[in-house]
Amino acid sequence: MKNRRSLFALPYVVWMALFVVAPILLVVVYAFSSAAGGATLENFRDMGGYWVVFLRSFELAVVATAVCLVIGYPISYLMAREGPRFQRVATVLIMLPMWMNFLLRTYAWMSILENTGLLNRLFSAIRLFDLVNAVSGALNSAFGLKLATDVQYFQMINTSGAVVLGMVYNYLPFMILPIYSVLAKMDRSLLEAARDLGASPAAAFRRVILPLSLPGVLSGVTMVFVPSVSTFAISRLLGGSNVMLLGNLIELQFTGSSYDPQLGSAISLVMMVIVVACMYVMNRFGEGEEQAVML
Amino acid sequence: MNGKNRFGGRLAMVLTFLFLYAPIFVLMVFSFNDSSSRTLWKGFTLDWYGELFQDGIIINSLYTTLLVALLSSLIATVAGTFAAIGFFNMKRRVRTPLMTINNIPMTNADIVTGVSMCLLFVAAFGAWNSFAQQMNEANGTSLPSLAMGFGTLLIAHITFNIPYVILSVMPKLRQMDKNLVEAAQDLGCTWMGAFFKVVLPEIKPGVVNGLLIAFTMSVDDFVISYFTAGPTTSTLAMTIYGMTKKRISPKINAVSTLLFVTVLLLLVIVNLREMQQSRAKKDPRRAARSAASSRRGTILGAGALAAVLLALILLSRQNNSRVVNVCGWGENIDPALIEQFQEETGIRVNYQTAEGNETMYSKVVLGGSGYDVIVPSDYMVSQMRQEGLLAELDFANIPNFSLIDDTYKHLSYDPENLYSVPYTWGTLGIIYNTAMVDEPITSWSALFDPQYAGQVLMINNPRDAIGVGLMYLGYSVNTTDEGEIREAYQLLAEAREQGVYQSFVMDEVYDKMEAGEAAIAVYYAGDFLAMYENNPDLAFVVPQEGSNWFVDAMCVLKDAPHKEAAEEWINFICSTDACLANMDYIWYASPNVQALADYPAYYEELYGEEMDPALYAIMAAPEEVLAGCEAYDALPAETNDLYKELWTVLGIG
Amino acid sequence: MGRELIRLVDCCMSYDGEQVLDHINLYINDREFLTLLGPSGCGKTTTLRIIGGFTTPVAGEVLFDGRRMNDIPPHQRQVNTVFQRYALFPHLNVFENVAFGLRIPKVVEEERGGKTVKRKKKLPEKEIQERVLEMLEVVSLKGFENRRIHELSGGQQQRVAIARALVNRPKVLLLDEPLGALDLRLRKDMQSELKRIQQQMGITFVYVTHDQEEALAMSDTIVVMDQGRIQQIGTPEDIYNEPKNAFVADFIGESNILDGIMHEDYLVEFFNRKFKCLDKGFAPMEPVDVVIRPEDVDIVPVEKGQLRGTVTAVTFKGVHYDTIVDFKGFKWLIQTTDFHPVGEVIGIVLNPDDIHIMHKSQYSGMFGDYSSYSEEYDEMDDVTLLDEEADGEEAEDDEE
Repeated sequence: MKNRRSLFALPYVVWMALFVVAPILLVVVYAFSSAAGGATLENFRDMGGYWVVFLRSFELAVVATAVCLVIGYPISYLMAREGPRFQRVATVLIMLPMWMNFLLRTYAWMSILENTGLLNRLFSAIRLFDLVNAVSGALNSAFGLKLATDVQYFQMINTSGAVVLGMVYNYLPFMILPIYSVLAKMDRSLLEAARDLGASPAAAFRRVILPLSLPGVLSGVTMVFVPSVSTFAISRLLGGSNVMLLGNLIELQFTGSSYDPQLGSAISLVMMVIVVACMYVMNRFGEGEEQAVML
Repeated sequence: MNGKNRFGGRLAMVLTFLFLYAPIFVLMVFSFNDSSSRTLWKGFTLDWYGELFQDGIIINSLYTTLLVALLSSLIATVAGTFAAIGFFNMKRRVRTPLMTINNIPMTNADIVTGVSMCLLFVAAFGAWNSFAQQMNEANGTSLPSLAMGFGTLLIAHITFNIPYVILSVMPKLRQMDKNLVEAAQDLGCTWMGAFFKVVLPEIKPGVVNGLLIAFTMSVDDFVISYFTAGPTTSTLAMTIYGMTKKRISPKINAVSTLLFVTVLLLLVIVNLREMQQSRAKKDPRRAARSAASSRRGTILGAGALAAVLLALILLSRQNNSRVVNVCGWGENIDPALIEQFQEETGIRVNYQTAEGNETMYSKVVLGGSGYDVIVPSDYMVSQMRQEGLLAELDFANIPNFSLIDDTYKHLSYDPENLYSVPYTWGTLGIIYNTAMVDEPITSWSALFDPQYAGQVLMINNPRDAIGVGLMYLGYSVNTTDEGEIREAYQLLAEAREQGVYQSFVMDEVYDKMEAGEAAIAVYYAGDFLAMYENNPDLAFVVPQEGSNWFVDAMCVLKDAPHKEAAEEWINFICSTDACLANMDYIWYASPNVQALADYPAYYEELYGEEMDPALYAIMAAPEEVLAGCEAYDALPAETNDLYKELWTVLGIG
Repeated sequence: MGRELIRLVDCCMSYDGEQVLDHINLYINDREFLTLLGPSGCGKTTTLRIIGGFTTPVAGEVLFDGRRMNDIPPHQRQVNTVFQRYALFPHLNVFENVAFGLRIPKVVEEERGGKTVKRKKKLPEKEIQERVLEMLEVVSLKGFENRRIHELSGGQQQRVAIARALVNRPKVLLLDEPLGALDLRLRKDMQSELKRIQQQMGITFVYVTHDQEEALAMSDTIVVMDQGRIQQIGTPEDIYNEPKNAFVADFIGESNILDGIMHEDYLVEFFNRKFKCLDKGFAPMEPVDVVIRPEDVDIVPVEKGQLRGTVTAVTFKGVHYDTIVDFKGFKWLIQTTDFHPVGEVIGIVLNPDDIHIMHKSQYSGMFGDYSSYSEEYDEMDDVTLLDEEADGEEAEDDEE
């Protein structure tokens, strides 16, 4: 009886084999073959020149994830402490932007960060640049420095900072929601028990709340880190062509100007392996709890 | 828990929400701006909304997005629910590895999922198409050739949606009392009956939740769609991504606003209903009423969605059975011509754009094609011809070819002129903002000069960018000497190192130069004229070292699904009237000799003033300028590989 | 039982303008087993939480050893709590759960160089080890140190929760319906186990329950509460034998409660007949509530009875029969070892010490008639905690 019903999954198992497993095998095959066909390791050798991109991608993704965590954890914690009505509204408010396509949200930042964008216009309207220039001028004459005194705008777009901002903006909800759902479900009496047993609020947080919310943190970190490290739209829109990330490198090999799917597959494969390794280590570290529910 | 603490907490939350919503708010405000500027407020208007509904591309992609989201989430919900039941009934030993595979699309980076599926489709379709071709030739069957498109997009969305459904249904199955099914069977139900009467109602919250998540994920997706939709299908996100690479129109703001407001309304309705229900739970008298109203609500919601889809279908589909898929450059055709062609012939034009020759080439090779007409530049025509990607044209179907000046026929890229019909020609040059530089620019050297650090927009395609270096150094743009090419690359790399380049751009150049975001750019003459209309401070120069002159030519792909319509389109575009209108819109010189000669008169008639001869000279460069210019030839494969490699390394920075 | 340890003076509490505690006055002695008993929503858990320090009363004082403790946080009180659903830390094993409190560094004052210095001090690992194992032995969980919490049965979890609280050597242990989630058999076992532990440790237990049987079996003192007020404080015997009002009479055990009139000391009238009793101190002709416990009634042949009635229902209960008898439309519950079939007319005799007289109160007339016998009787039996939780109506849970 039991076995027969498991046949319900059969179509999906076939589907997975076709559209999940086969594509990934294909990536592996491509990564180890040359454009003319035939096995080669050349794609990986070629990749040596791109370690800067790997480094930059992982660096920016780590920074973005850290920023999300630093903002997201306290917000989740505060949310979980509020009344049920507030929590409900807040959850909806956090999810709402996700229902707009993330490209639109990123696009919104472009007009804010541009050299002639809203922020720079605002700074100029409050005469911030005059102030900066005056201060620089004063410093120059006082100390013989050579600071620029003709600042017209702050360069914000097309910088790594803008890319990190874009990542944080887009993926912050992915950090808040899993942490929040773990914290909200946490039995309040556990905290009381800890306090009762002599723990100060800080100790109770460190010894009970934090370890218990770790699964949420881990799934939040994964959900922010993976899209950040592989994004190409955010870096393209907010980083211009100055901040090339792994995603851009891969895109370049597939639909961009340097058509070379073999190299692109090799880069994808290496990225996949590194990400999986990171996640594995992290989950080990946090006792492979099951993934928290995402939404 | 004291008051101060709580106030601080609330403040932090408010700030976070401000951070999340301020950009969206800005986006929405500027959708009502009476100017195409996204940063300067010029007054209130609803024009952008009006234009939005007439923009076939946006409406079409919105329709695609919603249809794919709806279909994929429904299919994924049904498939995922059954799969979850199957998994649930499996032995642990079998289930665990399968669940791991099931989780792959959720944990894997989107880009890897997208790219891998793209490879699969390309490989599978490639195999099928060659098989079909053989069969057709050998047995006279008419097996169709396949290409990526809506079908592959749908498959990809279903694939990444199912895991979310399973994730949301599984816990409900685990919570369910194991005896429920047995009890139902004991009372006389068949297993299927028990499933519908007992299991389904029990796991319904999980199923509905899964459906919602799947829909959300599908609407939010960009990356996977980008790699699997093929060149001729486009979701809203892809259209927007394409638009951000061009002149950005506040139509995007308008469509964002509409989306946001719709979602907001839906959420408010859903939440009000749920609140009503939870209150009703405590009050049994209200429960019945609320159950009835909830059923009504569901029907209403489904009805509303159906109505929206229907409206979009009506807006997006004229009942044309004949179609032609055209891939051109951004801002490179008068949209009125498309309308006119559609009206005259009844053939629907599916007009897509590519960023540059290399990008278009990638799309053609990887996308399993789907395009009928493409408009590559000279050297790319040559390369694609040599690779056997182009179809020979039947010039009997293109009588207007005779209107093309002989200068543009039988060029080196197509010596026998079997494959191409010239579309436009022009020169590459430097566009600069006279208000932002101290002296007129006359040399390519400006592009490598640290004096202009952060002010220069370098062109974002390898042939032109490295070509600029070669031209500055006095080498041929067609050199195959690795040393010379590396020398040119070195120039670019050093300038990039010194921060000369603000960015590498293609059609983003419009917005940036018009708004004064940058002082100097490398781009094409025709595009300069379009920018000059909006910012008269701009100037164009063909540098003293000489430059590239190019011909963009219309070609038909070998596996084009609509070859006849394609030729009809090409013929239409070659007509003198079309060339005149198009020249007036895109400012690129036409190879139609009569149109080119007539243009100043046409301009005078249209605008009531004489055309500035200087501008005409920029559009249609005179003989003496062209004498200093060189056309690109197709490069040998090794040189092409060198270009690709250097280009990637340059991009890394 | 020792000297007074805790005193609540006029403690009031309200949530959202709803008064849940109304001037609670109460003292608890050292080494006492005191039970707060009442139906859900009566304020017993709130009272416990005030003692534990999880809730601060809006008015009134909490005194420990005569010192005001209102604003002292839980971890600075020598009080530990066993929570309703145990609140065991799921990320720690049994040993670490019990060791939790011991691992928290304590602030100690030390003489150093002639000055008193406050210093955080950790217990040495060896002492932690010893104390935890010792305590696990007390609760009969030796050998379970490395188990994870979700691998334990309900009863075992209960014991871990008790050990975790007791290992800190509190002066007072607060227990919030600790047996509510256990099945009947386990509950009985744990009752005697708890009593044993209390005596072995020699500390004060403050116990919250809605189960009167549990309260009677374990307590030195019972505090009966309802609607945020204390209804009666006393030993189990006092409470059972001399209920102060109809509510207590009805809540503790089964009672037939009748309207009566106190003619004079030791003489009460009901059913138009005068009975001798042992109560005095009422005003002449004061209307009163008369309580007659079902097991106190003697059934006699009709002719010998002071009152006569008709049997309308009989239920066999093992030790006795629950017999419902109709006296002029008022139905009594009588527990007898003899069987009387339905329809039989019987007589009863009431001895003076079977009759308890109470002043009229707000509860008069609300309880004590067994007309709707079956429902009411069953209701008293097994109201499990979890059901109450599901209602979500309990005011005490509705904090903030």
